[in-house]
Amino acid sequence: MDTLVLNVSHISKSIKKKEIIKDISFQLRKGEVLGFLGPNGAGKSTTLRMLVGLSRPSAGTISICGHSIRDDYVKAMAHVGCIIEGPDLYDYMSGYKNLELLGSMSKHVTQAAIDQAVTLVGMENRIHDKVRIYSMGMKQRIGLAQALIHKPDLLILDEPTNGLDPQGIHEFREIVKSLAKDTGISVLISSHLISEVQLMCDRVCIINNGMIVQDGTVTDMLSTGEIVWVLNDPIKGQKILSENFNLASLLNEHNELIAAIDLKVLPQINATFITAGLELHTVYAKNKTLEDLFLSVTNQRTIQ
Amino acid sequence: MIKKIWPLILLLSSALILVFVTGLITAIAITNGGEKSQEEIPAPPENIQTEPSSAAKNILVLGDSIGYGVGDEPDMGIGKRYAALIDSEETIEVTNLSVSGATSADLAALVEAPENEAFIAAADLIIISIGGNDLTGIQSEDVLSLDMAFQETFNTYQKNLDATLNRIRNLNPEAQIALIGLNNPYSELDVQNSQNLLEWNYKTGLIAAAGLKTAYIPTYDQFKDHLETYLAADQFHPSSIGYQVIAEELDRVLNGID
Amino acid sequence: MLILIRNEVTKLLLKKKLILIIGLLIIFITLLSYGQQYTYEKNIDRFENFSGAGTYDWKSLATQRLNDLENRLDSPYIPDSGIASTEIEIRQLRYFIENDINPITPSAVKFSVDFVEQGISLLIPLIIVILAADLVSGEFSTGTIKVLLTRAVPRWKILLSKLIALILMTTLVVLIIGILSVLISYLFFRQWGFNEPVATGFSLIDGQLNADSVILVTRFQYSLLIYSLTWYVSIVIAAITLLISILVENTATAIGVLMAALIGGQFLQFFLSDWAIVKFFFVTNLDLTRYLTGSYQPIGGMSLNFSIITLGLWGLLSLMIGFMVFNRKDVLV
Repeated sequence: MDTLVLNVSHISKSIKKKEIIKDISFQLRKGEVLGFLGPNGAGKSTTLRMLVGLSRPSAGTISICGHSIRDDYVKAMAHVGCIIEGPDLYDYMSGYKNLELLGSMSKHVTQAAIDQAVTLVGMENRIHDKVRIYSMGMKQRIGLAQALIHKPDLLILDEPTNGLDPQGIHEFREIVKSLAKDTGISVLISSHLISEVQLMCDRVCIINNGMIVQDGTVTDMLSTGEIVWVLNDPIKGQKILSENFNLASLLNEHNELIAAIDLKVLPQINATFITAGLELHTVYAKNKTLEDLFLSVTNQRTIQ
Repeated sequence: MIKKIWPLILLLSSALILVFVTGLITAIAITNGGEKSQEEIPAPPENIQTEPSSAAKNILVLGDSIGYGVGDEPDMGIGKRYAALIDSEETIEVTNLSVSGATSADLAALVEAPENEAFIAAADLIIISIGGNDLTGIQSEDVLSLDMAFQETFNTYQKNLDATLNRIRNLNPEAQIALIGLNNPYSELDVQNSQNLLEWNYKTGLIAAAGLKTAYIPTYDQFKDHLETYLAADQFHPSSIGYQVIAEELDRVLNGID
Repeated sequence: MLILIRNEVTKLLLKKKLILIIGLLIIFITLLSYGQQYTYEKNIDRFENFSGAGTYDWKSLATQRLNDLENRLDSPYIPDSGIASTEIEIRQLRYFIENDINPITPSAVKFSVDFVEQGISLLIPLIIVILAADLVSGEFSTGTIKVLLTRAVPRWKILLSKLIALILMTTLVVLIIGILSVLISYLFFRQWGFNEPVATGFSLIDGQLNADSVILVTRFQYSLLIYSLTWYVSIVIAAITLLISILVENTATAIGVLMAALIGGQFLQFFLSDWAIVKFFFVTNLDLTRYLTGSYQPIGGMSLNFSIITLGLWGLLSLMIGFMVFNRKDVLV
């Protein structure tokens, strides 16, 4: 259990008598990158706020590196760095001054640690400019640096790429990825962007209406066990499948034949198709896109 | 930059906080009168008890600096001038117990004092000039609160004046009392002040009307257009001519025109 | 903790609030000093034209008044209660005559005291509001409260550091008001007036202003007293502002609420004599300095002690509610 960086158990949150978060539990291990995926208003941000002590759960417990956030706030928070909804900085100060000020609030943050964080996010050249004149991307880099100066074990990023241009998103993603790889920091990223989660995370929690509806590794979640055949006569193929193998199948919009099968019988099926005189153009295992999965579990069409 | 001035700010502010807290405590102590005990206040000069003379007619002047005659030639004032008007042979004894700067409260206290009883009881005519110092005590920045302060002040004044008149009547049911009205030394300057002053005079007139043998002597209109000659050099107290005008007005009200 | 306080002071300084406040003060003080100087000269002129005497001879008038008062002291008829105040006035007049200072001449220290006496119930509170209104609400509206509250520091410590920083800065502002008003008005009046005697220490006995315990202090000492009271008022206003700043999450609203309270409170004062509850409102108690000058209308039950205690309770209560709310608040911005 010593590798459990974050342990969330059975937390609920009601605001104005409305239950927004309903009994959420999940864990995060050392070095893991967990994506928190859900439509807008699903409760991602509310959950993350409770993790960093900005808001209190109505029920349930949260512990970070073994310290309960309720009973041992200071010790628990010493292990966390976060950006909650955008990089909020004092725009009347320079980036460096911001880091210095926020760093001074944690123990043992040295000048060197600040410089290191600045180098990590690639802001050495503009660090002494006022935050007011920074671009969104630069602010986000300082935001990341501010979350990292006290060398936390857990990095919590809430919608970190909101408002960034594609270039900025790409750079930010690379920084976080290399961070997780090089320092073994655990990362929790919330997003409504499926591609982002797919590209950055080892594991995904899909959250909808305040509940976790799916929790697993990205590869597990995406495999469907379905095979797709591209044939010159899919109707005949469908017939063969049902008559010879007793398998239900369907045709998709491209007239491709799809069936869920045990992979062991695949060579036999392919042989039967060819013997029956069908032209077999392509055979491939169908992977669900995360989007399909997401839509199927959230049952909602308003995803961007 | 800020790192350098921070210790300075911290030190300066902390020191100032100490100073201010001390000042605050001192202010509280002073206002509660703790700093000064009764002994430090100089003892009042020995009272010289004089008996009122048994002249044919006794005039007693009470009140403030106008009663006292500030601005007039030495040893004159309303009382002496009035006495001269009605009786050129100077058989009239004038006693002046006025105190420059007195307010209605001072006057009420003065008539209560046992040492003054005999003067009041012996007087045939008691001239009272009071209220001016009550009125000038009102200080206010705006019209609304000025109005409030005015009402407040007048109520106090009325209470004191009633007490004074009652006391006098108790000691001396027979004497004629004359209340000298206020004039406005700043007449043209401030409409609001003039209005308040007229109201003050009017109400004082009502108080006089309510009492037996109590007359109200108007001075406002008499002075209004002659401030340059009727006021003394200090632009506040009446001049000798001013006092003469008041005395003549007093004569007209009390005795009519022959 | 000291580091947290330093951080908060840094923020306050970098927001350039102090520069704005100094700017405002310079404008106000310059205008008022000029105005006072102008009125003074006008009065002298008017007097000279009016009396036709050519020059305004304050000295003979003051001497006349002095003699008058001295005669009065010898008079057997004045009531005991008047003696103390007469003696005070005599000593003041003597000072003016001996030092050849016209009593109505404006001096820098006198102006400085007048300035805070006039400003203590509105202008100075407003300045403190400018300083303090965005202390917490500003962090909410820019979202920086999130980076501040996700550090390994308990919330009460953060608020306490803000409070202490605010007290330090408020103290500095009071000092700045004093220094600026003395320096600027000196440029106009050319008269410091530190040693001029001032009467203070009026006490209320049975609802009447009592001058028995009046003492004479130099104007410098007097200004220290006045500024101490001003400082106390400022600290209380700062505490109340901090509470509002915690409650509303928006700087503009915070300033609006406080302005409404301050200005509305001025109106409420008109009902003071009839409506007893009004005297427990903080705004009606701001004018602490009037209790020292003795030029006020006593209102039943109101004294320096009463006002100081009422203000203190308002301040403490604000802080208690402030800390409670801040500690429990969900940050949803």
